Amino acid sequence: MTMEKVAADDLAARHGGDHEFFLHANGAEPKIGKGAPHETLREVLIRVGIIEDGRGNTLVFVGECDVALRESDEIEDGIDKHEPVDISLTLEVLEVHRHRHVHCHTCRHIAVEVNFGGKTKRHRFSPATTVGVVTEWARRKFKLDPESASEYVLQICGTTTQPRSDEHLGKLVDAPVCSLCFNLVKEVSPQG
Amino acid sequence: MSSPEQRLVESDLQGAPFRIGVTKGRWGFAEPGAAAEGAAWPRTYFWMAAATRQNAPDRYYVELDLSGYRSVPPTGPFWDPVKRQRLEHGKWPKGKPGSRFAQVFRLGGFSGAGSAFYHPYDRVARLNHNQWPSEQPHLIWTEKHTIVDYLEEFQSMLMSGDYVGV
Repeated sequence: MTMEKVAADDLAARHGGDHEFFLHANGAEPKIGKGAPHETLREVLIRVGIIEDGRGNTLVFVGECDVALRESDEIEDGIDKHEPVDISLTLEVLEVHRHRHVHCHTCRHIAVEVNFGGKTKRHRFSPATTVGVVTEWARRKFKLDPESASEYVLQICGTTTQPRSDEHLGKLVDAPVCSLCFNLVKEVSPQG
Repeated sequence: MSSPEQRLVESDLQGAPFRIGVTKGRWGFAEPGAAAEGAAWPRTYFWMAAATRQNAPDRYYVELDLSGYRSVPPTGPFWDPVKRQRLEHGKWPKGKPGSRFAQVFRLGGFSGAGSAFYHPYDRVARLNHNQWPSEQPHLIWTEKHTIVDYLEEFQSMLMSGDYVGV
């Protein structure tokens, strides 16, 4: 049933002419997008209804961003350098087939603060950053013991929500809000 | 004809969140020859990538019972894709003593030991643990959870520093 059909789709995507990629937008689950190499990103985004004709205030980022992991420990209130792309360029020129992810967002950055042990660390991340990257950044910033760091995860302030590590920050905020607050908490071991 | 729950699984497996994990090499379908002889719905087989550890595999397989998906949580053990049977206990991934990892993949002390994971996502383990919803509300399976939540949770553990090998 399922496996054969999805495997066949995978094969078709790899060997077909279209580029397959993942489309991410404000507050929404990612979707699978497809487009011919010679199509512009604008044409594709209009076709799938993510933007209307005329760009509006949507910023488009190609690829995922993990530059915060290369930030030195001494830097406070850092900011990601992940530039929006020119969507009049083609998928081929933008190397969408290699980057695989296209993020459409109204936030240029998402201002994140993480609380732990009475202290707060801040960074302005690209919307194309995964929760996993932010978690790793926070563990390093708070200098957690690598031996036990993996049991600490991010929980959205004032909630019990712990987003999956593969979710992107852009999904977690809705315009005009461009900020997020997390607590770094120890995951509970099942007992009883 | 497939059932509504099968079609829901199929839809989730073709969705972007599952495919993203596949393209990143985090998880995927088990190859057809890995399943049990004559296996059919609701038994479904996946693999999850694991961190490199000496004398340990780079991925672990699971055999999941997805009946009732999504309103009913999955359950199932690690799987041996060569012998096409449940993974021998000696080959289950091990965690540091006292770690959450060691607790989740424990092989004793609960009714599903060796055939399920000791985790709120698991249908069998969830039984008789009425305190878990208050202790770990974010890990209580709901109709909004998908197979990606399941795979992401356990695959992340297999990549963690608490995983020591077999």
